[in-house]
Amino acid sequence: MIRALCAGTFLNAALTVLLSANAQEPPASAALQLKHACVECHNPETTEGGLDLTVLTFDLSDRAIRDRWTRIHDRIRNGEMPPQADQLPRDARDALVQSFQKAIHSADLADIQSHGRGPLRRLNRDEYEQNLRDVLRLPQLDIRDLLPEDREGHRYNKASESLDMSRVQLAAYLDAADTALRQALVVTPTPPVVTRFRAVATNLFPERSTFGEREAMFFAKDNKFVDGKILEELKDDPNVELALFRSAHWPYYGYPRGFIAALPGEYRVRFSARAVLQQSNYELTPAVQPVPMTFRARKPSGPDVSGDVRATGGLIDIQPAQATYETTLRLREHETFEYSLLGLPVPLARNVDGGPPTYRYPPFPEGGQPGIAFQWLEVEGPLSADIWPPPSHRVLFDELSPEVLASRMAPVSASNADRIRIPTADTFRLISPVELAEANRLLRRFVSHAAREPVPEDALQTFEQLIRKRLDANDTLSDAILAGYQAFLASSHFLYLREPVHADDQYAIASRLSHFLTNTRPDDTLMELARTSRLSHSETLKTETDRLISGAGFERFVQNFTDYWLSLRHVRRDDPDVRLYPEYRFDDYLVESMEMETRAFVTSLIRNNLPARSLVDADFAFVNDRLARHYNLPNAADIHGSAIRQVTLPAESPYGGLLTQAAILKVTANGTSTSPVIRGAWIMERIIGQPPPPPPASVPAVEPDIRGATTIRELLSLHTNSESCAECHARFDPVGLALENFDILGTWRTQYRGIEQGQRINGIDRAGHDFTYTLTEPVDAAGQLPDGRPFRNIHDLKTILAGNPRQLARNLLHQLTLYATGTPVRFADRAELESILDACAPTDYRVRDLLQALVQSPIFRGQDRSHD
Amino acid sequence: MTNQQRSRRRFLRGTGVLLALPLLNCMLPRSVRAAETASPRRMLLISNNLGVLPKPFFPAGTGRDYELSPYLKPMAEFRNDFTVFSGLSHPGVTGGHSTENCFLTGARGPTKSGFRNQISLDQYAAEKLGLVTRFPTLNLGVNIDKANRSLAWTRDGVLLPAEDSAPALFRKMFVQGDAEAVQKQLKKLEERGSILDALRDETQQFSRSLGREDKNRLDQYLTSVREIEERLQTARQWEQRPRPTTTQTPPADVQDHKLFFEKFDLMLSMAQLALESDSTRIVTLMVDAFATPAFRLGENENTTTDYHNLSHHGQADEKVKQLEEADRRQMTLLTKLLQNLAGRPAGTERLLDSTMILFGSNMGDSNTHDNTNLPILLAGGGFRHGQHLAFQRDQNTPLCNLFVTMLQNLGLETDAFASSTATLSEITR
Repeated sequence: MIRALCAGTFLNAALTVLLSANAQEPPASAALQLKHACVECHNPETTEGGLDLTVLTFDLSDRAIRDRWTRIHDRIRNGEMPPQADQLPRDARDALVQSFQKAIHSADLADIQSHGRGPLRRLNRDEYEQNLRDVLRLPQLDIRDLLPEDREGHRYNKASESLDMSRVQLAAYLDAADTALRQALVVTPTPPVVTRFRAVATNLFPERSTFGEREAMFFAKDNKFVDGKILEELKDDPNVELALFRSAHWPYYGYPRGFIAALPGEYRVRFSARAVLQQSNYELTPAVQPVPMTFRARKPSGPDVSGDVRATGGLIDIQPAQATYETTLRLREHETFEYSLLGLPVPLARNVDGGPPTYRYPPFPEGGQPGIAFQWLEVEGPLSADIWPPPSHRVLFDELSPEVLASRMAPVSASNADRIRIPTADTFRLISPVELAEANRLLRRFVSHAAREPVPEDALQTFEQLIRKRLDANDTLSDAILAGYQAFLASSHFLYLREPVHADDQYAIASRLSHFLTNTRPDDTLMELARTSRLSHSETLKTETDRLISGAGFERFVQNFTDYWLSLRHVRRDDPDVRLYPEYRFDDYLVESMEMETRAFVTSLIRNNLPARSLVDADFAFVNDRLARHYNLPNAADIHGSAIRQVTLPAESPYGGLLTQAAILKVTANGTSTSPVIRGAWIMERIIGQPPPPPPASVPAVEPDIRGATTIRELLSLHTNSESCAECHARFDPVGLALENFDILGTWRTQYRGIEQGQRINGIDRAGHDFTYTLTEPVDAAGQLPDGRPFRNIHDLKTILAGNPRQLARNLLHQLTLYATGTPVRFADRAELESILDACAPTDYRVRDLLQALVQSPIFRGQDRSHD
Repeated sequence: MTNQQRSRRRFLRGTGVLLALPLLNCMLPRSVRAAETASPRRMLLISNNLGVLPKPFFPAGTGRDYELSPYLKPMAEFRNDFTVFSGLSHPGVTGGHSTENCFLTGARGPTKSGFRNQISLDQYAAEKLGLVTRFPTLNLGVNIDKANRSLAWTRDGVLLPAEDSAPALFRKMFVQGDAEAVQKQLKKLEERGSILDALRDETQQFSRSLGREDKNRLDQYLTSVREIEERLQTARQWEQRPRPTTTQTPPADVQDHKLFFEKFDLMLSMAQLALESDSTRIVTLMVDAFATPAFRLGENENTTTDYHNLSHHGQADEKVKQLEEADRRQMTLLTKLLQNLAGRPAGTERLLDSTMILFGSNMGDSNTHDNTNLPILLAGGGFRHGQHLAFQRDQNTPLCNLFVTMLQNLGLETDAFASSTATLSEITR
């Protein structure tokens, strides 16, 4: 193949190459068309867009050149090039596109057949943690943070090319494996001593007095406030209640007196409580609605913020009738836990002249201040496995108990004649052949349990030699064996996923499927199917895919996939600007609810096999009490509790579908303002699958001048006055414009807010803060798509977007392909994906069908390789 | 003010007196030993990935008699301790923000398909310098998206994550374990050596059964094994030497990304501590303005929007004003750093004279995603400073030429780095 071409004959030579390179013989007119329609701009003098067609060879076996021609193909196909449509008549365009399509497809397919579709993929840190949890039978293992954050590639933490290895990364894997193994091992002959703690209400707060004045919390008996002076006398009285009314956010961090987790682990908490209303005379009356709460693990501290709190034990809805609740908390060593009342405001604390904080309260809510009254609480833990040694220990040492291991840790008597004498620095270490055999047996047992496919004999021997070497270095038997395990868990066999080399590559398919749908290693069922070569049956693979989707591990798919696809991991990134949005101050509960909604929605798309158009247009939503109010649902008053449930939306509701979900509207805003540009680009890329091209290269600089713009519209039009900006912005701005009716957290609005100009709104927010903002320009959410179709508002836009379900489905397939295989859609995959779309068209492109079809395709199951 | 704020302020105010232990010469490679008698050269490489406003940064005049630009005025007392450069950039490193990972590598075409980064200046220097300090380099960050951004890249073009926790850095540098902990660590290092042997053998075997592309991935793994092994020997020796001590109390961290300047200030102090205590001689600091949300600018006031959005100011007065204020605050922090380093003796000279401080950006003008005419300032290091070295604005000189000069200043025998074409002899005496 000719790569370097002589000057002077550039064009003809390039075109000759174009023709000759193509075994399928494209119409000769293709080269001619290119010459007529494209070279005028893409020549050595002009090199528009950095492209000079006269020197670009058609050596499609070269990956970089193939990518180049793929972009050329796409832009011609999409009608973006040549810029004037009449430069390339329809027929000629189709012919050109087709000849390119054929040539690139066969070159790419040939590449896949000889070198594979994508390289080995390193496990990301979430997958690694989950693999170890499963291998070691330690469901609570916490080692993710020992590993560096994984680089994003194509937006995901699953792209092979971005999951690199460095000395830092490898050292972190070794440390993480070591930490995990030490946690799996037990050294005591009996389970740790369980601590049992019980407290009545007077011991459920650090001090027996009120904090933040009585409106925030107080002790009560017979529904009446009890003064601190009397409390000492009543300290064992079971009829005293601790009444909490505010979020346990600073400075209300009530936690039980005298409890601290001496050991890390799981603790069972039982407590008695009821939801109450505080009346203005500090009396308690029964609540009408449940109040949600959670526990937050934290270090006990003085009257200061502990930055390190984390929710544990899940959301609990406390009902108006007194009842006993139970949950399990995960605590680290020396931690305690605080009670966090969700969705309740934090009062304003002011330090006047550096003095102690004083508090200010909002007007008393009608009917009373909601809160929770606690009667008693019990803690028990750390909880141990039912058997001892626990399963994790048995994974490592089979039936060898801690005592037996301990007895082998000391050098053994030298009298035994069949022992091998190994001199070490200060003593003689004696290893019996029996011990060595035992070590080797355990290693092989562990590896066959932990590996995702059979490990070759030479690798096993390498690990055996390592153990032997450690024993020679005077390690104890268990240390030496653990070094072998550590090595295996940081070995390339364990750290990398291989792509299936053909449709019958059972173990690789099993691993790919399990990491796709459960973010971890194949479970026993999958491993057994792989071992007995049954996974290659399409029906079995389909049944297994369904099984994983229905299983509990699927939550991990939803979590990780939405974290990246929809940026949900950034949902807490930008705190709302409380000058403009005082109503959102400290509303963690709202943010938590939005996150749950979007995850529930995606779960439902797949599990309930919903049509692809639901992505943008749905007559239902997933809400709890907080979201029902947020979305202004007519029956919000009847929606109680924190649990997310599906509700039908009224026809006129602007909500329904991803575009208008609060979480999406939050991650596409910045906490202060919304931008149609950013939201539009985000939607086009993530949901529609037509990402905007990168901003133009800097030279010559196109400098937008936005001086004088007062409204978003003016800003946009100034911004896109320049033709080179406008061309691309027209593709994504409009979608964002339709979302202008939604504020930074997704509340419907018809006017923007400001600080200075406009109609002034004053008040005291729900946390007692004075606020003042202004209502400014009215929102105009109308626009026009690049193809000319106009829309008045979000309703119209949804209808338009839902009218092209194939594109929505195509995008989803592209997202899933990368996510499942670690390699973005290749040119040769396109035909396969289109045929999947064809097959799914008659039933409205249902999401689970799309996913199933992808799993069955050679993209997922592997191509037969010719050679490498 | 919370306790944490208090203790952080105390930390920043602290005198930072350090008892850096003399290096044990016998531990050092022969090539470096001679250099030890003079005060060793150090460098601190800082990049703000959104840069600064070009107009108030670049001085109008050139040469030695140039007039200080508005941004440089606060540094007037150090006029002869720094050089400001214009007309420098990395050839072929364009593509807006994607150039941020190339600031110290100069790797061309970060937006091209199949792009792979190259070794960064700090890693290159550390490779050549050898393992002369406890940490060959330290890689710090402010508000940094650690997964995706870094100034430090390996020879394989793999990202080395930045450290952004001041307490963690402090522990690493100064907190000395007891004898038992040291023994335990030594044992662990020894064990690691044998594990790495096994991993290398096993991976080489595995690699034989694989195709071309898979092999390439495993090459990274094998490189990593080798690099950890190389460091084990010196790690063992360092483990047996007590860590330097400091009168500083451990710092409290700043985790709130809104407190951008506080964090920047804190990380500069950490860099200073690292250099003063000779924990390392090479520090990078990536100031991830791109990842910085609306941040505290006034007493109790945040910027009207996030840093990135501000940087696309479109000449709107309100935005330009805030950016100017943000830029000035950063220049003030740099001035404070220069003051601190000028007040510390290092051998017979000031620590400033033995420490090169590079401040710059991959963005020449963030407003237009321009990656040419980068704002570059080099202070300290004993160069012939006090100039505005102006190169052609329409045909830039490679920034790597400056990097080569800096490498030579470190005492390394090298005459090329990445896209360099020459050295900048204008600043060497």
